[in-house]
Amino acid sequence: MKMTKRLFGIFTIPAAVLIVVLAVSRIQGVALFATEGNWVSFFRSVANVMLVTLALSINLNSGRFDFSIGSVALLSSVISATISIQYQLPVGIMLLLSVVLGAVFGFLSGLVYVIVKLPPIIVGLAMALFYEGLAFAVTGGYGVSFVNNTELVGFPSVRNYSLIIVAALAAVILIFDYTKFGYNYKALLSGQKVSVHIGIREIPNTLICYGIAGALMGAQGFITATNTGTIQMTLNFGSIGAMFAAFLPMFIGGYIGRYINDKIGCLLGAVSMGLVSLAYVRMDVDSSVQQIISALLLVCFLIFLNNEQKFKNLVKQGR
Amino acid sequence: MKKWRRLTAFLLTAAMVLMMACTVMAEAPEMDESETVKIGVLVSDTTSAEALAFRAYYEEYIQNQYNVNFMYSDELKDSAGEASAIDNFIANNCKAVISLSSFDRPAQIAQCSGAGVYYAVATGTLTDEEYEAAKTNEYYVGAIGPDLMTEYQTGYDMAKYFLDEGKTKFAIFGGAIPYYTDMHIYRAAGMLAAMCDVGEGSYKDATGMDIIGKIYEDGAVETGAIGNVEVVGYVGGYDMDDAWFGKCGEMAQTEGLEVILAVGNGSDFFGAAKGEGVQIASVDAYADSYKEAMEAGTLNYLAGKFSASIGPIFMATYSAVKGYPIRDAEGNALALSQGYWVADSAETFNTYYAVDSSKEEPAYTKEMLDGLFGSSYDDFAAFVSAYTFDEIQGLK
Amino acid sequence: MELKSVMNRYGLKQKIFSIAPLFGLIALVVCFLAAATAKDLNIAYSMKNILNQSVVVAVIATGAIFIYTLGSFDISLGASACVSALVGGMVYNATGSVTLMFLTCVGVAVAIALINSVLASVFNLPVFVTTVAMLSVLNAVVLMLININGTGSQIAVPTDAVAGLNTTWFKLLVLVLFFAVCLFVFDFTKIGRLQKFLGGNPVCAKLSGINNKRLAIIAFVMSGIAVGLGSFLSITYAPTLTKNTASSVGMDVIISIVFGGMPVSGGARSRIYAAVVGAFSMTFLNQIMVMFNLNSGIGQMVKAVIFLIVVSLAMSNQRNKEILPR
Repeated sequence: MKMTKRLFGIFTIPAAVLIVVLAVSRIQGVALFATEGNWVSFFRSVANVMLVTLALSINLNSGRFDFSIGSVALLSSVISATISIQYQLPVGIMLLLSVVLGAVFGFLSGLVYVIVKLPPIIVGLAMALFYEGLAFAVTGGYGVSFVNNTELVGFPSVRNYSLIIVAALAAVILIFDYTKFGYNYKALLSGQKVSVHIGIREIPNTLICYGIAGALMGAQGFITATNTGTIQMTLNFGSIGAMFAAFLPMFIGGYIGRYINDKIGCLLGAVSMGLVSLAYVRMDVDSSVQQIISALLLVCFLIFLNNEQKFKNLVKQGR
Repeated sequence: MKKWRRLTAFLLTAAMVLMMACTVMAEAPEMDESETVKIGVLVSDTTSAEALAFRAYYEEYIQNQYNVNFMYSDELKDSAGEASAIDNFIANNCKAVISLSSFDRPAQIAQCSGAGVYYAVATGTLTDEEYEAAKTNEYYVGAIGPDLMTEYQTGYDMAKYFLDEGKTKFAIFGGAIPYYTDMHIYRAAGMLAAMCDVGEGSYKDATGMDIIGKIYEDGAVETGAIGNVEVVGYVGGYDMDDAWFGKCGEMAQTEGLEVILAVGNGSDFFGAAKGEGVQIASVDAYADSYKEAMEAGTLNYLAGKFSASIGPIFMATYSAVKGYPIRDAEGNALALSQGYWVADSAETFNTYYAVDSSKEEPAYTKEMLDGLFGSSYDDFAAFVSAYTFDEIQGLK
Repeated sequence: MELKSVMNRYGLKQKIFSIAPLFGLIALVVCFLAAATAKDLNIAYSMKNILNQSVVVAVIATGAIFIYTLGSFDISLGASACVSALVGGMVYNATGSVTLMFLTCVGVAVAIALINSVLASVFNLPVFVTTVAMLSVLNAVVLMLININGTGSQIAVPTDAVAGLNTTWFKLLVLVLFFAVCLFVFDFTKIGRLQKFLGGNPVCAKLSGINNKRLAIIAFVMSGIAVGLGSFLSITYAPTLTKNTASSVGMDVIISIVFGGMPVSGGARSRIYAAVVGAFSMTFLNQIMVMFNLNSGIGQMVKAVIFLIVVSLAMSNQRNKEILPR
């Protein structure tokens, strides 16, 4: 593939989003990045969306729709924050704890899935209920607060979010693109039955996938918790909402993934969404309007994605 | 003759006193605790600090003091949820329902009275029309909680506190204003009214209580100058997505901002406002998270409900179930307003919190509540109206 | 050994497992009655209560079976029910006609379903993602409807207007009639058979010349009618409507359908009765939990475990020993 075509494929969407939001914000008389806080907000959004997108897509690409990822983020951050407060641990250890606990809870979700052998959507629903209930029971429903802990609530910064983004992305690329596990994952993804027949062990591969998705969600839970200094409880599937924001960046990532590593595609999808999110903030867009714009963007992009050839033919005919 | 007349008068008086004593003795309410009374509690938000504190008071204090058993609803999200939960309570032979959920109170009352179950409103009140329709219903016990005027005043006092300190740049967190939640609208209106009074200006050409209508029109609070005071930022709703947190952060970091006034739980701003020198005021409950925030100087003012504030409505309900309903002279049900405890320093907060979180000696103890069993409306009203921390401690 | 071969020959094992969810429901009813007797529950009132709490989900889930049979699922059903109910309520308040309210509820729900199906079938979009987008749009529409209505946080239909319909018999009638129609279409017409075929093997179905777009539209229309009926029943039960009306229905429908033994991959093993069995099973389970007054967190954990156990048992004949299900 020609380099120009590749670069065009990689950067068209984020660049187009940037141009549109800059243009609209200029019309509105608002600077997109006016303060340091805007940069922090943007990077937080990118980190959050990228982590959830990667966590969702790891399993969804393999046809496993896991509803429990939001509850893994909640539970791992609750426990890591509780331990960190109790033993006055530094923020880096809390992040590490959150990631490790996320991996453990993700792994447990996977373990239940491979044991009961039910469709992942069902296991995901049950585990979401279970983890939400456990988080509630652990904190007595009160959640966790560490607003006094200046180190923990001082975490949000462009540098720290960038470090998380780079570390998570590097780890995921390394694991999925440069290890035997990653090759097996791709084989299972494209031909489950054939892969199993040639001796690829599906169960350990699946468990590792769930573990990695959980670790990513642990990091996401940590980011959410340190943003406000409090973790509030949720029940009755309240945790699954986080997942819905990851669909558009996931599809954008999939599209960009044709031209570059698909994980970097997810990052660029998250960057695009981060820009849209910042535009909502800076232009003070009403919540209901936001919901409609986001839904329309998702539908329009999907229409384009699923009818790309038709669009190309139309363009050719036009010429 | 005179002697006889005196003797007769004495005997008559003695007889009357004796008769009155007998009557009083006969009517003295007796608390028969031989049978366990099941009471259903409707809760719309099971995870808020306020709801958890109330639950702890009922389950860890009241349930240990009286022969009662509380049955809690799941988190309720709409009026259908309320109806289902009441159906569950009725099926489980609850004798009464105490409601902390307000999607459709008239329907709740109708459903309970239809099944012969007593119904009471805790930490809230009915509207005037609703009260008129329900006040003589024998199964409607009444309502005790902040009425909308109290909510308005709470917002007013909160803003006035900071205005008196010379603050002029405010931001308002509007909580459920976009969803037209009355108490949040009234609190915000109170805040703006205080700004109008001190700043000598108006909010969209309105002052005082006229501001309420302006907020209902927009479903939001408009930013801008109010005389020499300014509302520099506003965020409403509870979207909890990246954009919403971004808006919260942006508001907390607005240049020149001095105070964030939250109409509800302001804890989502603690992280964002940290290190910005911005003061935060909130309306919620005396919970552990606020204790930390107060001590850290992140939170500077809290108008909080105290967990035992739902003690009197329990006693009114219990009394009604036991056959001693508390009614005024016309036979009307209770309609009493109750305010908040206001803490403006960590020291005050900790004093209040120590009492509020105690399961041995809470704000309203069994001894105090026992005095309300079968009491007169006026005695009951006098007890409830003395709701400040010092007044309650004075009663002990 | 002999018994095993007999069972295999006549497909008895398959048949027994296919009705396992029904046994699950019976077991839950027995547990409920035992606990209710021990706890001195008002059983007559409980039964009425169980119907009230199951009927909306049972009706909507029965319609949604048509979508599930195609191997898709719709996460926007709750939001769709909310929009239909709100618009229906507004129409009643404008006209005072219960009939118009009913027609509006059904009409709006069918229109939303048609938009979903057109997006999914005409533009070749994955159904689930289309419904995720629709969920977002409908949530925004709910807020707008409340704003337009301008009467605060709710749209209220007078209780008296619908009190006559808030009866056990009316609800049973709606459920039975709708179920009968769905049963007929699903099990006794070509449409049902083709849908199972399409859900079970879409490639083969397409090669056989089956019009998948038409079938998808029919499935969504059936689901839309169910949502309309469900939203109307919601109004009769609780006529004060807010932004959260029917908010839990979307997830309840998914859980009920699965609980009733419906395979999420759709296809030939799809059963129309799964929705009703699942909805009633969930309500009986909830009632047992209520009786024991479990703490919210612990209660939810127990519910999750029971859900997994019951569904595991119900689907034990659908497992592929070689590969993991997707």
